[in-house]
Amino acid sequence: MTVRLLILLLFVSPFAVAQDDDWNDDWADDENTDLQWTGFIEGALGSRWDTDPQTGSKGTLREGRARLETDWENDSLAIGFKGDALYDDIIEAFDLEIRDLTLAFSPGKNLDVKLGRQVLTWGTGDLLFLNDLFAKDWIGFFAGRDTEYLKAPSNSARFNLYTNLVNIDFVWTPVFEPDEYLTGERFSFFSPLAGAKVAPDPPLSADEPSSNVSNGEFALRLFRTFNGTEYALYGYRGFFKQPLGFNAQLIPYFPAMTALGASLRRSQWSGLVNAEVSYYFSRDDSSGTDPLIPNDQFRLLLGFEREAVTNFNIGVQYYLEWTQRHDELLEHSLAPEFEPEEYRHLFTARLTYRAMMDKLIGSLFVFYSPSDKDYYLRPKLTYRYSDQWTAEAGVSLFAGDDEHTFFGQLDDNSNTYVRVRYHF
Amino acid sequence: MKPLLIALGLAVSGLAHGQALTDADEIVVQANLAAYYAGEDGRSEARMMIIDAQGREQRRQFTVLRRSLEAGGDQQFLVSFSRPSDVRGTVYLVNKKVGRDDDRWLYLPGLDLVKRISAGDERTSFVGAHYFYEDVSGRGPDEDAHELVETTDQYYVLKHVPKNPAAVEFVSYVTWIDRKTFLPIRIEYTNAGGKVYRRVEVLETKEIDGHPTVVSSRTSDLSSGGHTDMQFRYIAYDLGMPTEVFTERSLRNPPRQWLKRPAAD
Repeated sequence: MTVRLLILLLFVSPFAVAQDDDWNDDWADDENTDLQWTGFIEGALGSRWDTDPQTGSKGTLREGRARLETDWENDSLAIGFKGDALYDDIIEAFDLEIRDLTLAFSPGKNLDVKLGRQVLTWGTGDLLFLNDLFAKDWIGFFAGRDTEYLKAPSNSARFNLYTNLVNIDFVWTPVFEPDEYLTGERFSFFSPLAGAKVAPDPPLSADEPSSNVSNGEFALRLFRTFNGTEYALYGYRGFFKQPLGFNAQLIPYFPAMTALGASLRRSQWSGLVNAEVSYYFSRDDSSGTDPLIPNDQFRLLLGFEREAVTNFNIGVQYYLEWTQRHDELLEHSLAPEFEPEEYRHLFTARLTYRAMMDKLIGSLFVFYSPSDKDYYLRPKLTYRYSDQWTAEAGVSLFAGDDEHTFFGQLDDNSNTYVRVRYHF
Repeated sequence: MKPLLIALGLAVSGLAHGQALTDADEIVVQANLAAYYAGEDGRSEARMMIIDAQGREQRRQFTVLRRSLEAGGDQQFLVSFSRPSDVRGTVYLVNKKVGRDDDRWLYLPGLDLVKRISAGDERTSFVGAHYFYEDVSGRGPDEDAHELVETTDQYYVLKHVPKNPAAVEFVSYVTWIDRKTFLPIRIEYTNAGGKVYRRVEVLETKEIDGHPTVVSSRTSDLSSGGHTDMQFRYIAYDLGMPTEVFTERSLRNPPRQWLKRPAAD
């Protein structure tokens, strides 16, 4: 297996052309019309401390990756490309992943359009997402891939209209793009049907909505910055991004969902405060009585971050998931003991310390839920040896009192990882 | 906090060169205008070579757009990074507010994330260089007490003592300000031990569009031995940039019209 990793790295190394040695040469370099290719090669290893009884394995991350990026533009058009060639030894498969292949243009003075495969983000949370219902890859995140990979690309059309009154950001994703969800392939998880932690083989495969136009995703953001305060309203029509429902055959699927929300963010108390709310309408179970479909939910986020001392930053967040019609939920539930609490409280903290002129960054991110009685710790160290070489090592530690809670279900998947990257 | 950008540098006109100023505060005000407020707006390409105490080199390359709302007052900055490859496409937007916390945003293209950055210590490394954010954006003239130590044929030599010593790592600093251009040519910082431990020096200036402008400078860490060289090229002033250039739109969709290199240097 390791041999295949090496072969991959050898295969991609011709791309690792020498870095431009341009300090003394012409600055005109950047303006030439040739495509400039940049990217990186990365090797990553991660492992549990003990074998997970469900998956029967220790490995969580064992892959070699080569990234290529380029862009081309003239006065009216920009084309972007970012793609990865990946050998993932955990699932023993080669993969080509296009993260960005877009055409961007501005058909009007105040209108920007971006079409194609792209990564999309909005909202104010730090690793918590209320109104950002674009696809995410929590599996890669848990395994210790670069944070960039938490955001999965989607095939979308994005329209930005800028006016004096308000700015409008509209994204249409014609074919539903779900999150990467827990399948049992890399990490075990809790199944309410089995009433236990499982790692199905073949991996879990949820039913996705059929790809007709009415099953597309529509996401809207109205935003404006006024006196340094950023205000935004959000709307979304699509589906829960995780397969939280079960159909009549008890196969997981993505129930219909509409969300409305709002956020603000501003400087305050020598730091930043943010607040965000969202209401998820579970369109197929508005009465909250269908045990196979999640209920409506109200979500709230409050955050504050600031520099505590020079080079040391602290960020804290409080997050609430308030399940609506909770009595109906329990009354009709097939397994009330596994249903979410009416109020799921979650606190997070991010501590970041920068040393050696930012070459060494230590950080700790903590998720802690007093209502679920579970937590997730993410300490990591990032070292930038040079403009070419960077390394990161970290831990994902999951624990909880119960098997069915969000982080508690992952407690056999705690892992340590290390990644080394060469940029070119 | 005050943000970015050194040395799109500047011009001072109308003062009788022959006659030496004697008011330290007035000299500092003129130097602030000269160093940070040249033209109503401006653009420049910049690159840095960061050399640490072990001799290892790192580079940064970026384009800076700057617009002043008022001479000596609030400013807007947009910094678009092109090198090294891991920061290519990163864009930094600052609304510098004199006497209040600045508003700052960073765009991370890999995540399509518009990250707001909290006010922080201005005297920390700017993108890994020996320059501080404050060197790049300017230190508020009101933050120190100024004293004119000496007037030579070429320089006003001033000593500055911080009004809030707890907020900075120096006890005092001395600047050599060019009497003709009012550009600070050398700055030396002294620590509690009485030692000069940090130096910012101008290596080359040029007159561009009538504005004396720093085109090459160096900041040295005299205790560790490392230093950063910074060069500016393709500088242009008074391009008529509208305020809309400095908004969230430019983070996701950098304003090519203004970032693009002018026809002639």
